[in-house]
Amino acid sequence: MIAEILISALLVMAGIFGLVGSFGLLKLPDLMTRLHAPTKATTVGVGGVLIASMAYFLIFEGKLSWHELLITLFLLLTAPITANFIAKAHIHREMTARDLPVTGTERDWATLMPSDEPVQPVMNRVDEPPRQVSDH
Amino acid sequence: MSLALIAALPFLGALLPGLMIRAGRNACAMTTGFVTALALLMLGLHAPAVLRGEVIQTRIEWLPGLGLNANFFLDGLGLLFAGLILGIGLLIILYARFYLSKSDPMGQFYTYLMLFQGAMVGIVLSDNILLLLVFWELTSLSSFLLIGYWKHLPEGRQGARMALTVTGAGGLAMIAGMLILGNIAGSYDLTVILQNKEAIQASEWYLPALILILLGAFTKSAQFPFHFWLPHAMAAPTPVSAYLHSATMVKAGLFLMARMWPVLAGTPEWFYIVATTGLVTMVLAAKIALFKDDLKALLAFSTVSHLGLITMLLGFGTKAAATVAMFHIINHATFKAALFMSAGIVDHEAHTRDIKRLGGLRHLMPVTFAIALIASLSMAGIPPLNGFLSKEMMLEETAHTVWAGSHWLMPVLATLGALFSVAYSFRFLAHTFLGPVRDDYPHKPHDPGFGMWAAPALLAALVVIIGLVPMTAAGWLVDAAAGAVTGEPVAAKIKHWHGLGSPALWMSVLAVGGGLMLLASHARLDAIWNATPRPEAKRIFDGIVEPLAALARRVTAISHDGSLTRYLAIATVTITALGYYAWATADHGTGTRALTPIQTVPAIGWFLLVVSSLALVAFHRNRLLTLVLVGVIGLMVSVGFAYMSAPDLALTQISVEVATVILLLLALNFLPKTTPVESSGGRKLRDGLIAAFGGTGVGVLIYALMTRDFAFPSIAEYHLANSYKEGGGTNVVNVILVDFRGYDTFGEITVLGIGAIVIYALTEALLRGGPANDRLLAWSPDQRRAGDRHPLMLVVATRLMLPVALIVGVYIFLRGHNMPGGGFIAGLVVAIALVMQYMASGFAWTQARQKIDYHALIGAGVLIAAATGIGAWFNGVPFLTSDFGYVNIWPLEEFELATAALFDLGVFLTVLGAVMLALASLSRIAIRAGETINVDAFDIHPENDGPRTEPATTTTEAR
Repeated sequence: MIAEILISALLVMAGIFGLVGSFGLLKLPDLMTRLHAPTKATTVGVGGVLIASMAYFLIFEGKLSWHELLITLFLLLTAPITANFIAKAHIHREMTARDLPVTGTERDWATLMPSDEPVQPVMNRVDEPPRQVSDH
Repeated sequence: MSLALIAALPFLGALLPGLMIRAGRNACAMTTGFVTALALLMLGLHAPAVLRGEVIQTRIEWLPGLGLNANFFLDGLGLLFAGLILGIGLLIILYARFYLSKSDPMGQFYTYLMLFQGAMVGIVLSDNILLLLVFWELTSLSSFLLIGYWKHLPEGRQGARMALTVTGAGGLAMIAGMLILGNIAGSYDLTVILQNKEAIQASEWYLPALILILLGAFTKSAQFPFHFWLPHAMAAPTPVSAYLHSATMVKAGLFLMARMWPVLAGTPEWFYIVATTGLVTMVLAAKIALFKDDLKALLAFSTVSHLGLITMLLGFGTKAAATVAMFHIINHATFKAALFMSAGIVDHEAHTRDIKRLGGLRHLMPVTFAIALIASLSMAGIPPLNGFLSKEMMLEETAHTVWAGSHWLMPVLATLGALFSVAYSFRFLAHTFLGPVRDDYPHKPHDPGFGMWAAPALLAALVVIIGLVPMTAAGWLVDAAAGAVTGEPVAAKIKHWHGLGSPALWMSVLAVGGGLMLLASHARLDAIWNATPRPEAKRIFDGIVEPLAALARRVTAISHDGSLTRYLAIATVTITALGYYAWATADHGTGTRALTPIQTVPAIGWFLLVVSSLALVAFHRNRLLTLVLVGVIGLMVSVGFAYMSAPDLALTQISVEVATVILLLLALNFLPKTTPVESSGGRKLRDGLIAAFGGTGVGVLIYALMTRDFAFPSIAEYHLANSYKEGGGTNVVNVILVDFRGYDTFGEITVLGIGAIVIYALTEALLRGGPANDRLLAWSPDQRRAGDRHPLMLVVATRLMLPVALIVGVYIFLRGHNMPGGGFIAGLVVAIALVMQYMASGFAWTQARQKIDYHALIGAGVLIAAATGIGAWFNGVPFLTSDFGYVNIWPLEEFELATAALFDLGVFLTVLGAVMLALASLSRIAIRAGETINVDAFDIHPENDGPRTEPATTTTEAR
């Protein structure tokens, strides 16, 4: 009985989070703020469903289900990266350095900064011998 | 097996010269010669049996349903021709080694020569006319390569084209003739056809078949009026001319007539068509030969003339004439090959083959002179050489042949031909070698090395030997060959002296005397000849071919203009129209199966699919959006597969979708981001209508299909019932892929591998210079680049996921046989895991960390799959039959091992290699376009967050 209540509560909570997340997606004014809605709220929402599912299988079916853990793992791995990329793309396309707060370090925002990654003119091990421009 | 092997040996040998040329020209020639010698030896081993009158057969079923079997047989005729082809081939290989200059690609030459040799041997050994046709066409193709060997010479290319057009067209006619013949006889096997003389000659289809087959034979053997291609083929290197025009290619037509002699000959039609054509060709070509100044052209027309002679003899349809024909084939091959080779030597040494610029060479080139002397005297028919013997016998035959009631027409014309023959033979000899030594040769000639004159000298020796002791040297072979042609035992009596009463003697005397007189007045006749207008064969040929080619080009321009839209429109309209026709003209009721109710979730999926497709049409100019929409459609389709209980398909679809979208995104980097407006409104409407009709048609068809039960029992039942029993797996889809239809899969991975290598090759060509390369070099990004190309979070995540993804790949691979999965999906999963590394950490960084060559991966995949398939042979079962068993290894549970898993490993490797090679190719384009090479996995390294380096500081300040 308690288990049922617990699972139901989890499901309801997940539903609310999902709803709030979707609502936020509609309501929030610009992309940067809107990004919070699905990535945060929906993650918790889906997480709630997954925990509920695990609890259900453990208590009522008597077996430990690992699928949900894996789903959680992948969700936690992909959601932030997706958000990060969307934000980066947004900064890249829509914003200039003036629109952004100062980073506080000596570095600029990575997305805006011209790459200072160490580079070399020719690759050492690509299946192509280094070619001069003028060889043809 | 041995006969098939003789025919196959030259083809296998064709692979060697290309490799052996790396070891030097001698090694190359010796290898080629060795293969030919081996084939000749194998043929020789059969000779005693054949000479005893046995017929050796090898039967291999190839496509029995079509009546096409790889059946070979060897009788006296085959022995004669195969011996000539291989024997003279061997001499040609020796001669060519010294003839070809250093700048000629010798490996290529020998490869072509071996291909040609194999095709010729195939023709003469075939016991199936369809197989014979295959080899026949192969000789046309390979002789095209040989004649056009000097690609830089326009005459060579044009000559090759002309030879291919004429002989190829004849070959097409012959295919029709052979099919008719096979139909009448009820079998395509020669040995059966040859038994059916009465049925064939009585058939109303006899004449069409005869004409069509003779068209093939006449074009190949350069008979009037198709003789014109042969002199133009003289643009080939001399070894080619010597080979093609003495012993092989042009004799193929004669061989065919001899082969078909038992069933086709003996009728008036045969006599009048064949004997007349032969006679006309003989006289006409001999006359033209007399006025040719080019040594090889002279020999070319003399070849045409002698071919006409043999054709005429075959046309007589008598046993005696056929015997003479066989004898003359041997003689002609020996003296003509020797003559071509000596002409080649003269050309090689004096740098000209123009008779008018030669003369007096006997002092400078005594050895060559001796060879040419013997050979040309034989060609002229001077006793006691072999040419004399067969010419006498030929004249004897004509002497008692009646042509349309006339007793004198045949002998007179034949004597005239012989007379011309004497004249041009002596002209070849006298104007090249006799006379005073000149001082204006383009190059001071002298005798070549032994290697070059060895081959013609050997042939000249044969000319003398056959001439002196014909019965010992050639009689047995003539008997065997003529016996095979006529189907009755033959005992030829070849002798020099037939007595004063023989008409041939006087005809011969007349020919020699007249010929010498003609030669004496050659200068005057030459002037008349040059003054008379003649039809120029090449101009006529071009006049026919050019308009045809133009017509072909016009038709092609309409139907094959390279526009995908047009192809799709034509195909769609045709298929829809045919479908509609079928639907409108046949009875059909409504379906018997009840419709299932529409459920909500699938309906949503369907709706998404429809909306994405419509959006794709609407937004197709924005390529990025298009790609996203394609991805959405792909995902919906895979969800659909999963819903319809096809997990294998769903997995494959989803991984294919991911891999394609990633690769296309990378490619899009270098493409315009929008598609320009190309079609007018009317065109859009037209295409839209076609698309709508096509789509509706397919929709209606599927609806009709799904509301009915199958008309035939489905093959699915068989697969379901046997997948575990025979394939050892419970995942039917996988068992179909690796077992039931394993051969298809093998073909598919091969194609996939080829596809990937083509991508690589295209990239290679693109980067090798030219406008595309220039554009890449001048390329500047059309969009602002992000500063942070390799974001920390992505790099860490992908690296974290790599082992997991690899384990998943292995897992999917291993379980594939019994549960959804398999090599194809596993390959894609692993490829995606690796592609993610490349995307996250950069190409160079990742590439530096793996040591596998993707080409090798593809090759290894196909080879492993092939080896697995071949492994089945060792168990005595057909290719790709899989085997499985259960293994117990402590401490594991009992598990199954199937050879299919090995095959699947091949699939896995090929798929992996193909995707990665495509990625590598795209990366190479990026690097050429100026993409810099990263050394670190990250752009912004947390460890570097210390004091700033100079350039970065300036950026900060600039802000």
